[in-house]
Amino acid sequence: MDISLNWLKDLINIDLSAEATAEALTRVGLAVEGIERHGDDTVFDVDITSNRPDCLSHLGIARELGAALGESLDVFEPEPEIPMPPVLAHDIVRIDDPKRCYRFTARIIRGVKVGPSPKWLVDRLEAVGERSINNVADITNYVMLELGQPMHAFDLDKLAGGRIIVRPARAGEKMVTLDDVERSFDESMLLVCDAEKPAAIGGVIGGLESAITDSTVNVLLEVAYFRPDSVRTLARKLGVSTEASHRFERGVDIDNIVRASQRAANLICEVAGGQKGEFIDIYPTPIHRTEIECGDVSNAVARLTGMEVSESKAVSILDALGIESEDRNGLRVFCSPSWRYDISIEEDLVEEVARHTGYEKIKELLPPASGAGEFQAAEPQKASVRNCLIDMGYSEALSYSFIDTAWDDVFQPVPKLDRNEGVRSVTLRDSVIENAVRMRQTALPGLLDAVKLNNNHQIRDVRLFEIGKAFISEEPGELPTERELLCIVGSGGDLHADRVEPERTLDFFDLKGAVEGAFEAAGVEAAEFEAADLLHLRSGQSASILIAGNKVGALGRLSEEIAQKYKFRQPVFVGELDLTAVLAANRRTSSYTPIAKFPSVRRDVTFEVGRTPAVAAILRSARTSGEPLIEHVGLVTVFEGGSLSPGHRAVTIRVEYRSAERTLSEEEVEYSHSRLLARLDSELGLRPRK
Amino acid sequence: MLIYSVFSVLSFRRPWTNTNMIEEKETVEAAKAAFDGEFEKFVDPGVNGDAAARLSELVALRVRHTGKKSALAESKKLIGKVAPEVRGEFGQLVQSVERSIVERLDAAEASLKAAVSEAKTEAERIDVTLPGRRIKRGTLHPITIVRRRIEEIFVSMGYSIEDDREIETDYYNFDALNIPEGHPARESQDTFYTTDGFALRSQTSTVQIRAMERRGVPIRIIAPGKVFRRDTPDMTHVPMFHQIEGLCVDKGITMAHLKGTVTEWLKRLFGEDTITRFRPSYFPFTEPSAEFDFSCFKCHGTGKLEGERCRPCKGSGWIELGGSGMVHPNVLKAVGVDPTVYSGFAFGFGLERMAALMYSIDDIRHLFDNDLRFLEQFR
Repeated sequence: MDISLNWLKDLINIDLSAEATAEALTRVGLAVEGIERHGDDTVFDVDITSNRPDCLSHLGIARELGAALGESLDVFEPEPEIPMPPVLAHDIVRIDDPKRCYRFTARIIRGVKVGPSPKWLVDRLEAVGERSINNVADITNYVMLELGQPMHAFDLDKLAGGRIIVRPARAGEKMVTLDDVERSFDESMLLVCDAEKPAAIGGVIGGLESAITDSTVNVLLEVAYFRPDSVRTLARKLGVSTEASHRFERGVDIDNIVRASQRAANLICEVAGGQKGEFIDIYPTPIHRTEIECGDVSNAVARLTGMEVSESKAVSILDALGIESEDRNGLRVFCSPSWRYDISIEEDLVEEVARHTGYEKIKELLPPASGAGEFQAAEPQKASVRNCLIDMGYSEALSYSFIDTAWDDVFQPVPKLDRNEGVRSVTLRDSVIENAVRMRQTALPGLLDAVKLNNNHQIRDVRLFEIGKAFISEEPGELPTERELLCIVGSGGDLHADRVEPERTLDFFDLKGAVEGAFEAAGVEAAEFEAADLLHLRSGQSASILIAGNKVGALGRLSEEIAQKYKFRQPVFVGELDLTAVLAANRRTSSYTPIAKFPSVRRDVTFEVGRTPAVAAILRSARTSGEPLIEHVGLVTVFEGGSLSPGHRAVTIRVEYRSAERTLSEEEVEYSHSRLLARLDSELGLRPRK
Repeated sequence: MLIYSVFSVLSFRRPWTNTNMIEEKETVEAAKAAFDGEFEKFVDPGVNGDAAARLSELVALRVRHTGKKSALAESKKLIGKVAPEVRGEFGQLVQSVERSIVERLDAAEASLKAAVSEAKTEAERIDVTLPGRRIKRGTLHPITIVRRRIEEIFVSMGYSIEDDREIETDYYNFDALNIPEGHPARESQDTFYTTDGFALRSQTSTVQIRAMERRGVPIRIIAPGKVFRRDTPDMTHVPMFHQIEGLCVDKGITMAHLKGTVTEWLKRLFGEDTITRFRPSYFPFTEPSAEFDFSCFKCHGTGKLEGERCRPCKGSGWIELGGSGMVHPNVLKAVGVDPTVYSGFAFGFGLERMAALMYSIDDIRHLFDNDLRFLEQFR
């Protein structure tokens, strides 16, 4: 809020420079974020926290400054006045909903001459960023900025029946407001009406028809109190926020109403002529001030801040802030002032004392030592996975957790997030990014967007990964399931350090290698891969990833259909893993086997096969043959092309025979090897290639 | 041809013994002369030419002049045939000739071998400035880098790292944090809601509650994590970002410990000369509350950098970082902790802001674009 230094000086004696004044305000929690000269005035941009609506006025700021500088306020004091007796007053003002409108005052001013405001008024308003409208409206603004009390001036002659009824709207009621917008109301909305129709939206904005114009002669000045949450709801529903609603939402000083009304009336009479007439004050719902019992403020301050502030010093700070106290049977009882709604417990008093003593006076201490710190249990594993992937050339990405609904049913999530039966994704009511209301079940769209963005910048070689959560709904009323995913994407070539052109184009096995590396880095059992068809992957180049027989994710080449949607011009390979499941898997274990004393005998054997059996099946069959002399079976090469018929492959495996007791004889090896070949023949129909 | 003629002379003389050894000496001289003549071209090691070819020529030369069928070998055989009284003298002659030949051959061979090896080394010379062979390394996201650094500092200060749910109930996101229904912070349009009425956590303070429920007190935790607010993306706002929340609850904890702790970790991150400033502020879940600033790590609080206005602190010398305060008694009560026995402090700040400061990032949307031209700058 803009605060004028000259205006403050009307309210309190300030001997400090503008800068020192700003510092004093900042020190007590009224952060001055800007200082600007305005003619002979200085204007502070003060950041006011939502708990301090009392500081949304020059009076409020002056009050804080007074407590900080030890100066007393010189503020307008109203003349004693007797409002119209209730019997008569109810003919002019009636509150039908005292639960939302606690107090309503109306003052009649007759014979005004509406016109431009005098220079002093225009200057004051302009200094704090307000535009001058006319002398009457300007005074209502001026008094609000001075005393914090929003108010509204009606043209009395345009109010049907010359009266006010504060009531809920009737279905279908409409009104054009001061901002020239026609607004429709529902029955939940509290309006300030005349005898027939709405004249203002309570605590928010006035109606255009009953507004002050150049021809206005008689004025009804409203100064009222509306309940904060009701104004907030109303303003939200209507989508308007005004200086008035901003203050009412946070709470205005209900005891300040008469002062504000009289101040405004006096000023209107001063700048626009006219005579003060009747004053109506309907006050059905009083607000009770909070009382706080505090045996020992000094002790409370020490307990929470470590500062030594004497009881008398603390009490005098609180007193200067309007928090009065009395001794009741040996117990000090503090009473929150009418303008403060944020003082209700002992800790609140401590804050008042602390900030007016100065936070800089609080010492800097470290708490006494306690136990050792710890990372999250899975953090070392996750750190290893991250490090492993960056070593393999993948950069870490971060994308939004909410994604476009256009990606619904395009990707197949990891199994734990893909429960086909009655599964519901988590959806946001609305988003700030168009259509991005789906909480992701997969992180792939984010990474693919990144591939696209990089491609658009002529970066073709893209390797990225992301670790982050994905979501799925549970039973109604239950919190959604959150699982952490590891998502990886690769496209383009295997770019090497300090080279601008890759040597080779990435393929399935690059991504597979990265996934295997991640498993190894996480220290869990090796992953298994089996050919599988997945929604978003190209058939024949896609695999399910399993750990201990359970599917935890998938890997493969992005389907042509999705690639086209993204307009990718080169193959893109993607993988997604349920990291929560991977990290929970059994840890890899090591145990020592004595190093062999006798030499081994190696036999390489080549089989010509089609697309099946898979190499994994050949190796598995050989490894599980049960031949006691087989120590190890490994893959040598897979060859395609040459003299082989299309679709055929020459798979060479190496079998290593060894005994722990002796050097094997040729006959022993031959016997074992022929039994192995016989098994491969009977199980898989494999014959060694000549 | 020369070998042949020497041989024929020797055969012719054999039947007689003599003591003046004229012919024998001539034979030795001839062998030497023959070698000298052929070896001449190897005398100058500076002679150009293919060292490897010259070396094999030299090897052949050695065979011819020192081998079994060489004139030298024949000369040696003559030693036994000369008269015993001059045999010693003749023997010495032959030996000296042989030594001379072998020594010269050895020297020439050594020098040629060196030349061959040198030529090979020269031929195999590489450009060591070519890049090493390794895959181009990826990079950690700057948020991860900053998070790790801060986590390491706090773990060393005895804090445990915690995280928890990102989608929360209103209870954890608001009620337990002393933000009751009707509170402006709650009804502000900041929070994302799911259609099932759950909130995307709008601050990591939710983890305070979850952690205290799980672990009880005393407690010292740091909770880094994603939070969500309904801000339209611009240079300084994004709808999803990261916060780090700190919480310390024990008997006798005061704001002095808050100030000390915040100052200590900022010193560890930005250097010993870092100082902090606490300003009164307001947060529903702390009372008293404070915002904290620290002296700018670029200009060390002077506000000026090389005569210009310092950018990270906008010339003020201070960088505003986060919010903090003493845990509100209602928050402690919400997790069954007696606020008359225990007290605690909490603080929080944004990782995006931290990363933006540390790396001079002018637009935090970059952090979520995944543009490799951006990501690869953080090595």
